[in-house]
Parts: sequence; structure tokens; C-alpha cells
Amino acid sequence: MQTAPDQNTLQARLDALCASRREIATWNAAYEQILATLNHNGFFENCLSEGEKFPDFVLPNAEGRLISLSETLARGPVVVSFFRGEWCPFCRLMLAALTEALPEIEAEGATLLALTPETGGLALTMKTYHQARFEVLSDVDYGVGLAAGVVFQVPKLYRAQLMGSRTNLSIRHGNGGWFLPIPATYILTPDGIVAWRFADIDFSHRPEPSDIIKALRSLRMTA
Amino acid sequence: MELGQVRYFVTLCRTLNFTRAAEQCNVTQPAFTRAIQRLEEEFGGPLLFRERNLTQLTELGRSVRPHLEAMLQASEAASALAAAKRTGVPEHLKIGLGPGIGAAAIAGAVREVSSALPGLKIHFEESAPASLIDAMLTDMLDCALLPDDCDLPERLNRWTLYEDQAVLVLPPDHRLQGQDTVTARDIMDETILLGERCGGFAQKLGQTTGFSLRLQRCNGAAAQILDLVSAGLGIALLSNRLRIPAPLLSRAFDEPVLARNILLTAVAGRPQNLAAANFIKLCRAQRF
Repeated sequence: MQTAPDQNTLQARLDALCASRREIATWNAAYEQILATLNHNGFFENCLSEGEKFPDFVLPNAEGRLISLSETLARGPVVVSFFRGEWCPFCRLMLAALTEALPEIEAEGATLLALTPETGGLALTMKTYHQARFEVLSDVDYGVGLAAGVVFQVPKLYRAQLMGSRTNLSIRHGNGGWFLPIPATYILTPDGIVAWRFADIDFSHRPEPSDIIKALRSLRMTA
Repeated sequence: MELGQVRYFVTLCRTLNFTRAAEQCNVTQPAFTRAIQRLEEEFGGPLLFRERNLTQLTELGRSVRPHLEAMLQASEAASALAAAKRTGVPEHLKIGLGPGIGAAAIAGAVREVSSALPGLKIHFEESAPASLIDAMLTDMLDCALLPDDCDLPERLNRWTLYEDQAVLVLPPDHRLQGQDTVTARDIMDETILLGERCGGFAQKLGQTTGFSLRLQRCNGAAAQILDLVSAGLGIALLSNRLRIPAPLLSRAFDEPVLARNILLTAVAGRPQNLAAANFIKLCRAQRF
């Protein structure tokens, strides 16, 4: 597939959004604090990486059914993507891009699972908003995010920023811990091994759907 | 943050002893100490005071402990259910239902847990909030649905599941059957059946309006009240979440609106069995 011109990539849209947010001084300070905190504490060493086994899980989906990773893997590779939530404009851009890319992901024989710590029906809100056909799972109390090593506690400034915009994560998550996942995306082989990973402490950085499709394609070629 | 670090910290909270906690986690003490230090770096301060004969949680340690315990349990419940689906270990799920709270809203979540865990034994207990709370604290129940107007001890975790509104239940030939909605004035001359275990909507109506209502008390649950409505003894105010069997009719009651929030409750910090942990997750994930 041809790489799209720069301004049409997901990352270009994310960068534009980030640049506009950074003009707000309080937002910018909160954003910088997240980057500085996660950079400082060696966050990446804990994230699952290529070659490691992704822990099997069962989680509720947006429609109130339990979805099992191993049963999904029985159908082929799985793309597991962590999202912060319905409130996050960066996640909305990424979900829109994934919704658009889903036919190509499925054409590679893969299943997409989007995980969010949001509860109280917000997974369904997110799914309905995007008219997404992929599963949106509630990672209640961050259990799978913790097992994948992608969860961090939201630093003070960002917490205040969210509260200021009436985004109370303790209500949305039903957990007063104020944790979030970094926007990590994993491609798992049918035996549950991480074949490809995108992980970045910067929540405005997301994997390009074309890169996910490329990785799935090369996985199919080597299978 | 990493699963192992959280597991070590939670073990250390229970033992308050580095040597014993490291042994329980099957790890050398230096590796254990390093993992705790990494977690402290991540939280930006010491989680424990390390004094010669005494290990104690700092204020920061105390504040993060319940959240890390919940995360660890969630992680274990998600992977253990995946394993149990393969091995089929029998499990119990014991759910308490407060006054006038039916199982219809949560039945889908029970079905999901049950299909993931074949052989699951499901147990419902309908009772007053105080006795359900006692049963949870003494480990006789896994969780309970309770109205938000009861006294809940600090030790209980609680999540609002839905708002419960009163509907008026009528026999099929009742004079109000033609109305879509009913107000307090419409039922002033009616006999209202007041069940002790039916959600207290009729008492609330009396308190809110100040009307003197014709109440017929009976010490029964919703099922008995419905039988009495069928027999023509009176009409009843019951939760809109209950299934009203035909030929009985239900009508929206909109002046005043009688409502209460229904909470899902469970003992904080206590490890839940696999069925209960996943049932609670399913309920919390949904909007009812």
C-alpha cells in the first residue's frame, strides 16, 4: 500500500490537535508533566514487548457479554489496543481511523479489540459514536492494562486539568485511583505472543493504521 | 507500573515484613526491595517507613493500597476466568437483593458468568439491607444490590448501577387502566398495598405529598404483593425494573416521581471469588 501524504496521516491530525492544545498554558504544563514523569521512571521497561506472551484475559464488552482473548485468538491474530476513554479527543481520532481501517484489518484475518478503563456503559457510548464494528472492552480496575505494564497514575496537573473540564476519572472508572493506560497497541500471533508493538508515553502519539495493517500482512506472510 | 511490583507491594501491606513478603512472593529480598523502590519512584514518594523492627505504610502507601489491591484482583480475575473457562472449576455466586430489587436487571450478567463457568451455583438472597450487609461482612454473600438510602459501612465498596423508579401496578379491570401516567391525586382514594420488602415507594409517597393515603400493610415481598393486586385487594407502587406478569398492568407514576438509586456493593479489599469478581466487573462495565 502507498503511504498516504503526511497531512492525511492519523499522526498529522493528532499533531495538529496537540499543537492547538499546547497553546493553552495549563494544558501544556499538564502534558509536559506526564511526559517528564513517565520518562523519568523508566516506564517502558515494564511494558510487554515483542516475543513475550500476552496474558490471557476475559473482559466485558460494550454489550455486556464476556469476551475471551484465547477464544478470539482461535480465529487468528488479534490487535489489542488500549484507549484512555470516550472523553479523550486523541482517542476519538484514533478510533475513527481504526473504524475506517477495520475492513483491511479483517482482510488480514485479524480481530481488533479496543480496551478502555471506562465503565458505566461508556464503552457502548464510544462504540456507538464511532459506529464501530470491533469489540470495545471495559478493562475494569485496569487489570489487563496492569498485566501488560501499560498503566500509570495520572500526575497532579493533568488530573486538575481533567477535573477542570468535568472529566472525573474516579466516577468514569468506578475507581478512585486515577490511573490511565498509555495508548499501546499490540499485535498478537494466534498463540498469544506479541509479534508487534506500538507503545509511547506521549498520548498524542498513536500507531498509524497503515502500519498495523503492514505488520499484520508481514505476520501472515511469515506464518 | 508492573504486575509483579504491585503483587509485591500488596503482599508487603499484608505482612509488613520485607523478608516474609519476599519469601511469599518467591523472590530474593534484593529483587523484592528493588521492585518496591521502583514502585515508590513511580508514585513519587516512599510507600513504607522502614524502621529497624517496624515496617509501616506511609500516608501515600495507605492511599494507594486499596487501588493497587483492586487492580491486582482485576488482573487476576481476568486471567483466572480465562483459565477456568478451559478447566471448568465449579464456583458459587451469591448475590443479595435489597427490598423490592429484582434480579431482572442483572440477569444478563449472571448468564454471562454462568456460561463462562459451567456448573456455577447461583444463589439469591432477598432481605433487608442490614442483614445483607452482615452477610457480606461475614462472607456469606459475595455482593448485594442495595438502595442508596440505607446506611452503608465504610468497608463496603459501592457503585451506582441504575435509578429505580416507582410504577403503579393495577389489576386489569381497574378504573385507571386507560391512563398512561398516574399522579398521587389519582390514587388518593385507592387502597395501596404496602409491602415491608417492596422498596418503600408508598411510604415515600406519603412523606413527599403529605397526603393521608389508604395503606394496607402486609409483610411480604414483591411476589406476594403482585398476588394480592391480582386478587383485587388494592394497587401497589413497585420498581419499574421488576417484571410485572400479565394480566396485571403497570402505569408510569409521574407526580411526584418516586425514585432511588440502586448500588452494587461488596466488601472492600477482600479478594472476591472468580465468579463474583467477574460478575461485579460485568455490572460495573454496563449502563442499565
